[in-house]
Amino acid sequence: MGEVKLLGVWKKFEDVTAVKDITLEVKDGEFMILLGPSGCGKTTTLRMISGLEEPTKGQIYIGEKLVADPEKGIFVPPKDRDIAMVFQSYALYPHMTVYDNIAFPLKLRKISKQEIDIRVKEVAEMLGLTELLKRKPRELSGGQRQRVALGRAIIRRPHVFLMDEPLSNLDAKLRVRMRAELKKLQRQLGVTTIYVTHDQVEAMTMGDKIAVMNAGVLQQVGTPEEIYNRPANMFVAGFIGSPPMNFLNGTLTEGGFVDFGPFKLRLLKDQFALLQEKGYVGKNLVLGIRPEDIYDGSLAQERASENNMTRATVEIVENLGGERIVYLSAEDISFTAKFPPESKVKEGQKIEIVFDMKKIHIFDKNTKKAIF
Amino acid sequence: MNIPKYKLKEFIISNSIAWILGVIWLIPFVGVLMASIRPYREIVGGWWHFSPFTITLKNFVGAFNHPMFPIGEGLRNSLIIAIPSTITPLLVAALAAYAFARYSFPVKHYLFAFIVFLMALPQQMTIVPLYFLLRNFHLLNKFQGLILVHSAWGLAWIIFFMRNYFSMLPTDVEEAARIDGASDFKIFYKIVLPMALPGLISAAILQFTWVWSDFFLALVFLQNPEKYVATQRLPLLRGQYFVDWGILTAASIMVMLVPLLVYTLFQKYYISGMIGWSTEK
Amino acid sequence: MRKSKSLTPLFFLLPALILMVPFVIYPVFKTVYLSFFLDDKFVGLENYKNVLLSPDIVNLDRFPTNSPPWGALIHNVVWIAIHLPATIFLGLGIALLLRGKEIKGASIIKSIVFLGMVIPMIVGGLIIRFLFEEGAGVIPAIFKALGIEGLAITWTAYPKTALFAAILGSIWIWTGFSMLMYSAGLASIPKDYYEAALIDGANRFQIFKNVTWPLLKPITIVVVAMTLLWDLKIFDVVYVATGGGPGGASMVLALQMWDYFARALNYNYAAVVAVLLTTLTLIPALWLIRRRE
Repeated sequence: MGEVKLLGVWKKFEDVTAVKDITLEVKDGEFMILLGPSGCGKTTTLRMISGLEEPTKGQIYIGEKLVADPEKGIFVPPKDRDIAMVFQSYALYPHMTVYDNIAFPLKLRKISKQEIDIRVKEVAEMLGLTELLKRKPRELSGGQRQRVALGRAIIRRPHVFLMDEPLSNLDAKLRVRMRAELKKLQRQLGVTTIYVTHDQVEAMTMGDKIAVMNAGVLQQVGTPEEIYNRPANMFVAGFIGSPPMNFLNGTLTEGGFVDFGPFKLRLLKDQFALLQEKGYVGKNLVLGIRPEDIYDGSLAQERASENNMTRATVEIVENLGGERIVYLSAEDISFTAKFPPESKVKEGQKIEIVFDMKKIHIFDKNTKKAIF
Repeated sequence: MNIPKYKLKEFIISNSIAWILGVIWLIPFVGVLMASIRPYREIVGGWWHFSPFTITLKNFVGAFNHPMFPIGEGLRNSLIIAIPSTITPLLVAALAAYAFARYSFPVKHYLFAFIVFLMALPQQMTIVPLYFLLRNFHLLNKFQGLILVHSAWGLAWIIFFMRNYFSMLPTDVEEAARIDGASDFKIFYKIVLPMALPGLISAAILQFTWVWSDFFLALVFLQNPEKYVATQRLPLLRGQYFVDWGILTAASIMVMLVPLLVYTLFQKYYISGMIGWSTEK
Repeated sequence: MRKSKSLTPLFFLLPALILMVPFVIYPVFKTVYLSFFLDDKFVGLENYKNVLLSPDIVNLDRFPTNSPPWGALIHNVVWIAIHLPATIFLGLGIALLLRGKEIKGASIIKSIVFLGMVIPMIVGGLIIRFLFEEGAGVIPAIFKALGIEGLAITWTAYPKTALFAAILGSIWIWTGFSMLMYSAGLASIPKDYYEAALIDGANRFQIFKNVTWPLLKPITIVVVAMTLLWDLKIFDVVYVATGGGPGGASMVLALQMWDYFARALNYNYAAVVAVLLTTLTLIPALWLIRRRE
């Protein structure tokens, strides 16, 4: 009913290609996040689904219905797509009251006054707006405006919700609360939702699935766990996680080591076997490891062995209270680690660090794609 | 306000200069007022002689009911012309300005450059052919004719002004309305026009004062004394043997009262319109 | 920006086109056309030659040694030469003076200066005439008090003074415009710049020269262009203050056009003057458009 499908969709503006050949399927009732840095094409993708932009090439389906296919000359305008959208700025009608803002989509559909009234009140109740119905948008706080925007989307009972960074204008505290509320609301209504954000925390906490985009290209689609634990390429690996994953350039030796120059790490047996099979021995590759998978040697002696440790100099320690971000260097290689508060390392100190070899990722140096 | 001693001298000097300038700029108006409320014999040797000082409304009555060119009738004519000459171009220009602000269409940029060119155009450039055009369509000496000319003439600057205004409005509100199911025209009059209300008020106020203050177009297109607008009557009010400053100044006050009132009541819109139409791109 | 293959934008534009084509666009082209004809006969540039060589427009026999009339075109140039620097200087000066909180009643003074912009120009012209009238007017009285009998006269009635009475009066009318624009410009300059300059040790003049004036440049461009346009198009003020006289001593192009059209009934010469005037206005207009882009 509410599934959305994009098949080979392109969007070109005069001389820039904003979206390149995206194929994406969103299942009915799914919460899909489009995640990427600004200018990656995620908003353009959303706008093509909404009908505010026409794709240059490719097909878009909403439900069973083909809503855009430039080759066949099909373009269904937004009002006939059975979608609702929440904008980053909320885009409330400044001259209308909260009531009229929420009622506007129904009024345009010539629905009877009584029914509009019933539905507006129901939605207002659901969102805690009942007391505010007579106010104008400028008399509302950011969070209240956000709810009105949601209300205007919900009242339509559309098959798909489209949301363009709806929480980015809220202050940090409110954002965290709205994240949870929005997720709950979506579950309760069970409406397919496509949600654009550049905030990886929002993506990880809210999405059933995340579609990571960069430079107009879809990088990876998967559950938050998949995206975090099995990134498809160096972009996804580097974009998700804070501080970002360390990338170390090394050479794979015949003995199963990755040689970085100042130090070597020995791969696990099956890891080496896989690389051997793919013919990477003697070649350059990139080893990726997240900061939390690098341990303070003094706290992780039981894990340490000569194959997975090295000495490094502590450059900077940032104490975040619950954890310490430690910037380390071993000769010309620098990397970041996340240590627990018990770690007592000091700036300038030479320490032993341990790599959790089970958690490493290996990327092809040229294609930037993950081998595992 | 407490003024520290070391600043006192500067404070006095700058205040004096400012107020001397203010008085210089005000003196002509004071003169006009003095001349209008006093009998001719008291002001003929200079209105700044204050004795005798007799206050009379005779000049106002005389100007209002002038036997040849009654200002009262002129004020009425001015109003009959200025109101439709404000509303018509405002609506028409708002539509066109929206097309320039939100749509792309062929030759748009040339068309807009042409509109800007028309804003700078002297009215002299149109009146000869317009005179014959109106005459052929029997619109000469008719209010309708002058209203059409004023409306057409106001379009260029209002299009320019409103396009700038619309361009500053956030597009996502209009997009939201589109997703909510509104048609292009509905978006325009239900969403865009109400949002652009301050801009529309500014444009209306300036257009109204300019039409009211117009002299040249009325001079060309209204030749029947009964049809004369207020500004047109002013120069005709001088006496037969001498310039009767009492009647002239009283009439001047009545003619400028309307724009002054509009300015006072809508100062904010007047000023933002003034600044907006000449600076913002 | 909506890309629309549909006719929607045309519907939005249509009413404007219906009004503008007959009442603005057609007359403009028709005026150009008329300027090349004399009594329905094509005469090429003959009209232009006659008009430009006529003492009505340029009278080099009298300019600059004798008193006006110097010809309408020269009068407009003289007008610009006096009025443009004077209103810019005064407008900027008043805006600077009234900027701070130190002046009591600054907003009242601003409103007074701006009044000239609010009143109809025809009233402005009448007031000018009143100001310069011997007996009833302030200015001749001041000169009389100063013992300068030569200027204690009705300025608008004599060739040597009529043009200057109109120009001086127009300064009184128009200064409000540049004052308003510069006030808005000054208000938009962030305070940080001044504070930074003060800390860098700049004095008031240096701050003006290095901070204020350069930052006001966009405003100055607008004010200069708009003032040039106003000066070129000046009509009402002259019409009522001096009628262009005596003997053409204060004639300007816009009024000369009217004179050819309504008094001489020479539509072709009127069209020539209109084209000349329009060509002149194109200079500031194009400059303004180019500088903004």
